[in-house]
Amino acid sequence: MSLEVAIEKNVPGFRLAVEFTADGAPLGLLGPSGSGKTMALRAIAGLETPDRGRIVLNGRVLFDSERRIDVPARARRIGLLFQNYALFPHLTVAENVAFGLWSLPDAEKNRRVAEQLAAARLDGLAERYPATLSGGEQQRVALARALAIEPAALLLDEPFSALDTHLRSALERQLREMLATYGGSTLFVSHNLEEAYRVCEKLVVLAQGNVAAQGPKEEIFRHPPTLEVARVTGCKNFSRARLLSDGRVKALDWGCTLRVAQQLASLPEYVAIRAHHVRVHPAQELNLENSENVFPCWLAAMTETPFRVTLDLRIGAPPANPNDFHLQAEVFKQEWESFRDLPQPWAIKLATERLFLLRD
Amino acid sequence: MNWQAIALSLKLAVCVAGILLAAGLPIAYWVTFSRWRWKFLVEAVVALPLVLPPTVLGYYILVGLGPRHFAGRVWESWFGHTLPFTFGGLLVASVLYSLPFAVQPISAGFEGVDRRLIEASWTLGASRLATFFRVILPLSAAGAVTGIVLSFAHTIGEFGVVLMVGGNIPGVTRTVSIDIYDQVQAANYDAANRTALVLLLFSFLVLTAIYGTNRRTLSIWRRP
Repeated sequence: MSLEVAIEKNVPGFRLAVEFTADGAPLGLLGPSGSGKTMALRAIAGLETPDRGRIVLNGRVLFDSERRIDVPARARRIGLLFQNYALFPHLTVAENVAFGLWSLPDAEKNRRVAEQLAAARLDGLAERYPATLSGGEQQRVALARALAIEPAALLLDEPFSALDTHLRSALERQLREMLATYGGSTLFVSHNLEEAYRVCEKLVVLAQGNVAAQGPKEEIFRHPPTLEVARVTGCKNFSRARLLSDGRVKALDWGCTLRVAQQLASLPEYVAIRAHHVRVHPAQELNLENSENVFPCWLAAMTETPFRVTLDLRIGAPPANPNDFHLQAEVFKQEWESFRDLPQPWAIKLATERLFLLRD
Repeated sequence: MNWQAIALSLKLAVCVAGILLAAGLPIAYWVTFSRWRWKFLVEAVVALPLVLPPTVLGYYILVGLGPRHFAGRVWESWFGHTLPFTFGGLLVASVLYSLPFAVQPISAGFEGVDRRLIEASWTLGASRLATFFRVILPLSAAGAVTGIVLSFAHTIGEFGVVLMVGGNIPGVTRTVSIDIYDQVQAANYDAANRTALVLLLFSFLVLTAIYGTNRRTLSIWRRP
């Protein structure tokens, strides 16, 4: 079970050059919009022709620029779930699911359609038209239609982006269950890192048409190799860094010196920490003078979500205005309420094992 | 009332609409989906009858299909007579003259089909031809119907080209519009009025029937 992709394509103002391999486990293609994820997906499906490269699915060459092989989309047997599902509006749910099965005898076709409808929990909706379905139902029809042809690989293009938030988690669970039973390679394109993290085992991070990182998801989130990857994986706090001796770096933008645990083969250019790893305490609980990576900080601004607050903090001196801050800390509301009324400065702790170093 | 002229006009319009349905679909498909860089030249040629005076088009068809020119001589050697002043000549001229009225609405209908539906069809294993009949055509039926209705109506109402190519031979090339013209020339205003009224009512009924049906069938899958 493998999908090998190594392609290049130039279009005015953009160059896509990616190389990755997907095996049985779902592979997430993560990147901001405009990073080339969708173009890569379309090239694999045969809807876009790369300028150079190879695409091999389970040993079958689908595209090879040197050998002039370019299997048309209709012969690739790749299931593609479009971002807005692309259901045929003039066909019923059952006819949509049966669309790719016209060459089968009726009995076999009906059996497969019934099977897919049951698996997608769509039995009662067979005779309905897509326009009368909810977004979640449409997504399940699109998935059933793609799976009905028993594709050798399944490509999912931002499958949840068209749905309301409250529908997402239930559908995401169904999708994960479904992918667990599906035998082929799965590519999951998303710009939502938490979604990609939950659905996929391995990740490929794309940035400006190139692969910025790839590997097991935990690895990429724990040690993003570059600034770009750290950003894509949701890290918000960066400072330019200069390496000092004895395992310490000077954080130029934050105006402090930090002890770090990580060793980097090349000279690090940035030091970074995730917002939810930044700890904030009342000043008297920590000894500001002698503790490592603990500094006095002042609050510049605060934003609230239902269960958490994001604090914009400045190290070393009170902020001149609400935009004058160094780091963002994300803390739970209860925690925030324990120190919100205490006098500033508070103490900010940037734990050694949470800091990571980045190349540009 | 000149039933002979009315029957001739109907026969001509039905033939033109049928031919343009068969020829308009592939031409419109090519115009819509081709990526050939000189495509705009073909588009301009197809649209020419929209701007040319019917006399100009009629003149070229008359001369081109006449016995002095290549196309006319080839026709004569195959069928034993030349095209001008026959029903066949009228048909050729009417098809050319109504071509943009068929091709442009059909092509607009094709363009209105969501590109992703076409791609979805391909990824599900359908060939280009299967995709055309199973996805593109059903979803652009309104465009095809409009194109056919327009070429039908346009043919019923055409005058200049008919007069140039067909002349005014009763039962062969004297269509309703020419008959009305003749009646007015002969100051038979009553006869002209009756024929004109029949033509007006008939055209109106055909158009409302087709547009009305069209809206109902489309609303099945446009339901919110």
